[in-house]
Amino acid sequence: MKSKVVPTIKLYDYLLVPIQIELDDNTVERLQMQILHEIHENDVRGIIIDVSMVDVIDSYISFVLSETAGMAKAMGCHTVICGIQPQVALTLAQMGIRLKDIITARSLEDAIDILDELD
Amino acid sequence: MKEAIIYNLKELVEDLAASDDLKREWEDFLVNLADAFSSEDKDERIKELFKNLLDFADADALIRGIELLNSRIGGFPFIEMLKFAVEALDGIRKEKETRLRELNDILAELATPIIRIWQDILLVPLIGTLDSHRAQNMAEKLLERTASTRAKIVIVDVTGVPMIDTIVGGFLIEMFNAIKLLGSDVILTGIKPEIAHTLVKLGVDFNMVIIKRDLESALKYAIGIAPDKSDRKHGRKRGDGDEE
Amino acid sequence: MIEVNPQDYDIVLKIKDESDIAVSRQMAKNFAQKMNFSLADVTKIATAVSELARNIYRYAKEGYIYIREKEAGPEKAITIEILACDEGPGIENVELAVSGGYTTSERSLGLGLAGIRRLMDSFHIESEVGKGTAVIVEKRRHAY
Ligand SMILES: Nc1ncnc2c1ncn2[C@@H]1O[C@H](COP(=O)(O)OP(=O)(O)OP(=O)(O)O)[C@@H](O)[C@H]1O
Ligand SMILES: [Mg+2]
Repeated sequence: MKSKVVPTIKLYDYLLVPIQIELDDNTVERLQMQILHEIHENDVRGIIIDVSMVDVIDSYISFVLSETAGMAKAMGCHTVICGIQPQVALTLAQMGIRLKDIITARSLEDAIDILDELD
Repeated sequence: MKEAIIYNLKELVEDLAASDDLKREWEDFLVNLADAFSSEDKDERIKELFKNLLDFADADALIRGIELLNSRIGGFPFIEMLKFAVEALDGIRKEKETRLRELNDILAELATPIIRIWQDILLVPLIGTLDSHRAQNMAEKLLERTASTRAKIVIVDVTGVPMIDTIVGGFLIEMFNAIKLLGSDVILTGIKPEIAHTLVKLGVDFNMVIIKRDLESALKYAIGIAPDKSDRKHGRKRGDGDEE
Repeated sequence: MIEVNPQDYDIVLKIKDESDIAVSRQMAKNFAQKMNFSLADVTKIATAVSELARNIYRYAKEGYIYIREKEAGPEKAITIEILACDEGPGIENVELAVSGGYTTSERSLGLGLAGIRRLMDSFHIESEVGKGTAVIVEKRRHAY
């Protein structure tokens, strides 16, 4: 696997993906590849995407995130997103965008609790 | 420049001001202006003087003053002074705007209090007519607050809202969806049959929003599902074989 | 399509590479911030520009985004105006394209144009097949 787009952290059997870089289209694509690859390699049972550093999520980024979650689901893996900034949440809601196949959590701790409950 | 202004001081003041009070103000202004011309931070000082002048004179008077100086004093930097005047006026406008905005924020907060009634629960009693501007404003505040407190549940009580039209209903639904994106749950309470009707027509997703008849049952429900922090399980249950 | 004089705008962005999408939304964000929009509105504006830039890149290959501050309406409200134009293939059924959920692209929600329309205060689109597309949107800063 080529260099990681985003450094990830293995937490129990969950994969924590803290996004701390600007999400241009190319990065989003590579991130998807990376996540799917890591699920496969590392026997991951849940993904937690932390977007607290992301200040714009548009329709394409939303699509790819949902698509990734859908693929992960097919591999037996739930996806939880946490840290959506309030103004980003308002923007997504106003645009009518739903994050299909993704569970939202209030915090990293909340995300772990949710995944634990799903087990 | 300094000398020219001082030399013409009496005449200039006569022409600029009618009352004695105003004369004194203008005289001070002109003396300070003359002084500023020979100082190092000339631009900044002149701008500041213009701004101070605008406390007792209006924009027209300032411009008239600059015109007069221009006609009486040879080599007066007319264009430059006009530029400073515009900047001073702009600065004052911006200050006013900021003050107005602060006032409005305070008003908006008074109109829609957001109360943290429990560790993990926010209560928002909406009162009065909601126009779209107020609804947007409230949504921004509430989202901010929900994120910063990490509230698990937001109770929106619309008992005090007489009517919700389709536009405001749309805003409410957006706001609920936005709160869900933060990972929090929404309980809607105090809803009148007419409002329920509007929301249903707008396609409110009742899987997203929990509806409770009144505030009391909303609170009971919320407290029931909001976990107390001290109860939090510390050891987590793990699956087989993943803990060495 | 429409006559544009770049000198009339505060910001002119050429969209040609994929990376221009991220750059343009960053520029829009900074500009809206300087105009004193609320944080929520800054985000909405940046998101709208991101959508417009992506549409240009994706469907027309290249084009321009123009941004300016102006005063609008009788109360002279401070307003941001964004114009996106290209000389790409144009849109066959504009009404359908802005209605939401319609897309000719495989991996998309088809919510770009519909989303922009909801995020902004005014939305105007002109498109002609074979000629190009122009989208003009505005957002007013709240009257305090
Ligand atoms: N600049 C353009 N030139 C040509 N066609 C366009 C242009 N912008 C949009 N379209 C057409 O309009 C459709 C809808 O655009 P819209 O931005 O709403 O959704 P999308 O780009 O398909 O998906 P999304 O923006 O959600 O990722 C597109 O699929 C495309 O066919
Ligand atoms: Mg698009």
